[in-house]
Amino acid sequence: MRRRTFGTLAASAALTAAAPRLAASQPRRGGDAVVAIVQPPPSLDAQITTAQAARDITLHIYETLYARDENARPVPELATGVTVSGDGKTYVFPIRDGVKFHNGKPLDSADVVASLERYRKIGGSAALLAAVDTVRASGTHEVTITLKSVQSTFLDNLSSPRAPIAIYPASEAAKPANQIEFIGTGPFRFVEYKPDSHVKIARYDGYSPNPGATGRDGFAGKKEALLDTVTFRFMTEAGPRNAALEAGEVHLVESVDGPVAKRMGANKSYTVYKALPFGFQVIKFNHAFGVTGDVNFRLAVQSALDMEEIMSLSFPDIYQMDGAWVYPGSPFHTSQGTERYNKTDAAAAKALLAKSAYKGEELTFITDPLRSDVDTATMVQEQLKAIGVTVKISVADWPTVSKIGFTPTGWHFWTHGFGIEPYEGPASVMAPWVGGASQQKADAEVDRLYAALNAELDETKRKAIFAQFQARFYEQAIAMKAGNYGNFQVATARLKGFTPYRIPRMWGVWLDQA
Amino acid sequence: MRALPRLLGHRAFVTGAALVLVVVLAAISADWLAPYDPLRSAVRMRLRPPEAEHWFGTDHFGRDILSRMLFGARISLAIGLSTAMLTGLFGTMIGAAAGFFPRLDHPLMRLMDALMAFPAILLAIAVAAVLGASVANVIVALSVATTPHTARIVRASVLVVRRMDFIEAARAIGMGEARVLMRHVLPNVAGPLIVRMTYVFATAILAEAALSFIGVGPPPPAPTFGNIIANGRDFISDAPWITLFPGLAVVVSVLGLNLLGDGLRDVLDPRARA
Amino acid sequence: MAFYLAKRLGGMLLVLVLVSLLSFGIIWLVPGDPTSAFLDASATAEQATRLRHELGLDQPLWQQMVAWYGRLLHGDLGRSILLRRSVSVAILERLPVTLSLTALALAFAGLVGVAAGTLAATLQNRWPDQAIMAAALLGLSVPDFWLGLMLILLFAVQLGFVPTGGFVPFGESPSGWFRSIALPAATLALVQVGFIARMTRAAVLDVLHQDFIRTAAAKGLGRARVILCHALPNAAVPILTVVGIVAGAMLGGAVIVEQVFSIPGVGRLIVGAVLSRDYPVIQGGLLFLAAIYLTVNLAVDLLYAVADPRVRLE
Repeated sequence: MRRRTFGTLAASAALTAAAPRLAASQPRRGGDAVVAIVQPPPSLDAQITTAQAARDITLHIYETLYARDENARPVPELATGVTVSGDGKTYVFPIRDGVKFHNGKPLDSADVVASLERYRKIGGSAALLAAVDTVRASGTHEVTITLKSVQSTFLDNLSSPRAPIAIYPASEAAKPANQIEFIGTGPFRFVEYKPDSHVKIARYDGYSPNPGATGRDGFAGKKEALLDTVTFRFMTEAGPRNAALEAGEVHLVESVDGPVAKRMGANKSYTVYKALPFGFQVIKFNHAFGVTGDVNFRLAVQSALDMEEIMSLSFPDIYQMDGAWVYPGSPFHTSQGTERYNKTDAAAAKALLAKSAYKGEELTFITDPLRSDVDTATMVQEQLKAIGVTVKISVADWPTVSKIGFTPTGWHFWTHGFGIEPYEGPASVMAPWVGGASQQKADAEVDRLYAALNAELDETKRKAIFAQFQARFYEQAIAMKAGNYGNFQVATARLKGFTPYRIPRMWGVWLDQA
Repeated sequence: MRALPRLLGHRAFVTGAALVLVVVLAAISADWLAPYDPLRSAVRMRLRPPEAEHWFGTDHFGRDILSRMLFGARISLAIGLSTAMLTGLFGTMIGAAAGFFPRLDHPLMRLMDALMAFPAILLAIAVAAVLGASVANVIVALSVATTPHTARIVRASVLVVRRMDFIEAARAIGMGEARVLMRHVLPNVAGPLIVRMTYVFATAILAEAALSFIGVGPPPPAPTFGNIIANGRDFISDAPWITLFPGLAVVVSVLGLNLLGDGLRDVLDPRARA
Repeated sequence: MAFYLAKRLGGMLLVLVLVSLLSFGIIWLVPGDPTSAFLDASATAEQATRLRHELGLDQPLWQQMVAWYGRLLHGDLGRSILLRRSVSVAILERLPVTLSLTALALAFAGLVGVAAGTLAATLQNRWPDQAIMAAALLGLSVPDFWLGLMLILLFAVQLGFVPTGGFVPFGESPSGWFRSIALPAATLALVQVGFIARMTRAAVLDVLHQDFIRTAAAKGLGRARVILCHALPNAAVPILTVVGIVAGAMLGGAVIVEQVFSIPGVGRLIVGAVLSRDYPVIQGGLLFLAAIYLTVNLAVDLLYAVADPRVRLE
């Protein structure tokens, strides 16, 4: 079969630049860059939203106690380190001295405590701090956190960029969701937000860099803002978005389709970057509704699908075939169970289908209007028709789809991207399936493995647990992964020092004079 | 029918009828005319420009645009026709009720005013968001958006007809209200109504395309003019043919229907203008 | 007159109440809620519930309705859930954008449409008339968003005359404003020009067939003078009505055009609000648009009466 494995990839190559050009020019201060992003951010109150569009901007403005490095490992950012007690339940974080918020107020432990307490109440991913018992200031620049029980992933959680546990001034942390002033400690400060148009941020000249950092390193490390301002323009239409780059109105486009990227790559005025892998394309089954509750039916679908065809059509020129449920290069990457991935075995599928309860009824595939999701649904529909399964596609906007997709009736299949979860690590990949949240019917084995992973401090044993989880996923076809997809990002060649990551990081980036 | 010879002598009507006939015939005979299966994807044939094998090129699935347009014409025309029928039905019911029964007039027409006060496209978006995207729901959404105006036209005609002598005569000889309505009033409303329905047919084809563009149109993979265009917009500068040809098909269909409507109006409803 | 006005305003109020009830109906029926804009697909139901509470969305609908109408009596349309400003501010911020877009489009469509329509009427049944009418009908048959995309392709991408989207406020740069709004306004106008031209032609023809025009012509007045000084002013009323109708239609057309050209206007505000379930903005925005539409209609009817004394308001 046409299968490629990425197990041998260098561990650091989580994200690679397709066209690494040596920056001949010298970093220079000044300049105003414009970045075209696809969706408007729902809010710039970083704590309350898990949306990618918010992250793109807020991670320039705010910082966290710990942040992920280039390989997604937690490293100190506003904390200088951590001391963990022998029983693994008390964490003492010394806070960096001399850090100033954008409003000039110096950072102290009261701000940290207030921010963490706010997150526990209204955080967009409050489960990250579910294990926390108490948070208290044990000095003007020291915070002590005690846990209810040992949690192997606590630092991972604290540094998660999903809905970042951003540190706000205590005065802002006292305010309700989405009503704060946007004040952080990051290398850029907030300037203005025009709904349906743009967000503008400017270099924060009072920024205090992390003294331990040497170079740009994931969401942590050295963050040197060179540009005077960065404007994030929201441009939902792909045509005008690409045209804006070609017309010189925009310097970087966050997401460009394969064919367009190919054409622009041939032109010296542009640099094409590949953020790959950026996410999994996941196809969910509803285990509580009709025939998708039947394991034989799910296995039949799993055997039938040609994932490479799905990926190559939905993500032209920017995908990887890999059945593992973390990214290549992760220490948890394993081929356990993946012999069932991308089989394209119609005979086996038909045999399984005959054993299943499927009687020719029409099944419902729900998807939001995002083109790659619609394309995936369309390909699955076409491929399943070949083994005699009838699928109806139902497209609705995201609020509707995400409502239906978390109810136990009305849908059989649902597809969408899964990007930040594998970046965060194995626990985040497993969490959505715990208690049957995403498949509508709990799987006792998945629940047991998730609890075991959280309580296990030894990394070798945790790897074994995750391998079991992955094996279980394929044996039961709990859900399917089509493959890893990426993002083409295209910038004007004048934009220097840029490397793609989970967000378009604009620190360490400068514009050459035209 | 006295109207038919006059219609056949009307140049706009004949031109429009010819255009519409071409589109209808293409839609009906899509099974024979289409060179390819409109749903069949072919990875290697992705985004091919117009060439001998694919006259109108292919989309990002490698599907033949011409074949998709032929089958798309079917659904787009079906949406237009169904919307025209539904708006005719509900518009007549509401308009006739309002025009014939004075007590219903005020409440019904204020409700219609309220519906008309929403821009039609927003109303259709809202209805589509409530009901979910499907061909049937798009028809419902467009019918809701077009019915108020139809009801107004019917009401106006009913009011005019009601005052005519022969209605008074019918009443005088003891005909019931309902029978007067069915027997005498409605046939006289038919002219303006048919004209309106023709225009609604055209409007619905345009609106289907707009709804697909916003993302609440008929779901894939079945092609409609609107969702072929919507599919192509991401590739507009690299593969403009995906957007161009179905767009032209919309123009031809709508132009044909509008010409048809003009002809019908001149003959059936000479009081109305433009 | 005063009685008529009072009656019309009363009717308008009733319609606005119906509009607000309809929008509540839509909000009540539409699946999903604003939390989905904040949360990704891995968010748990518990997080959504918590956020719903934070945003004050867990009250029963009737309570929300009572609160909303209560605030409305004080002229307060409430606060947007996502945009961090009151609904009135969100609308007023965008109003200049939508107004300048529609005003420019209306001016263009009005001038070209009336001129073409008058010319066509003057040369009735000759080839320029037929050409103009054919072009007018063609304009009416083009999908506006498709035309917008094609214009972007031609003028912004191929020729580079204008930007591909976005909006520059007039105060920032008048020329930038014009460049940013020219293409969208042209898109909006091209679709309506045909309508105005057709109606103008019909109105002028109507007048041309009346006795006083024949008299004027018989007196030996030049054809151009007859048209400009006698026919056109007498056709003003129906033409004005049409322009009013077009103004209303453009508000609807602006919804789509703003989407195509990424212009932050009122239409895009409401579409965005529907798609993200920002309930207060849907409510307030629809009410606002309805109020504008009704006011334009009323203004047209009043102008009708002022311009033509024969029209009796009843």
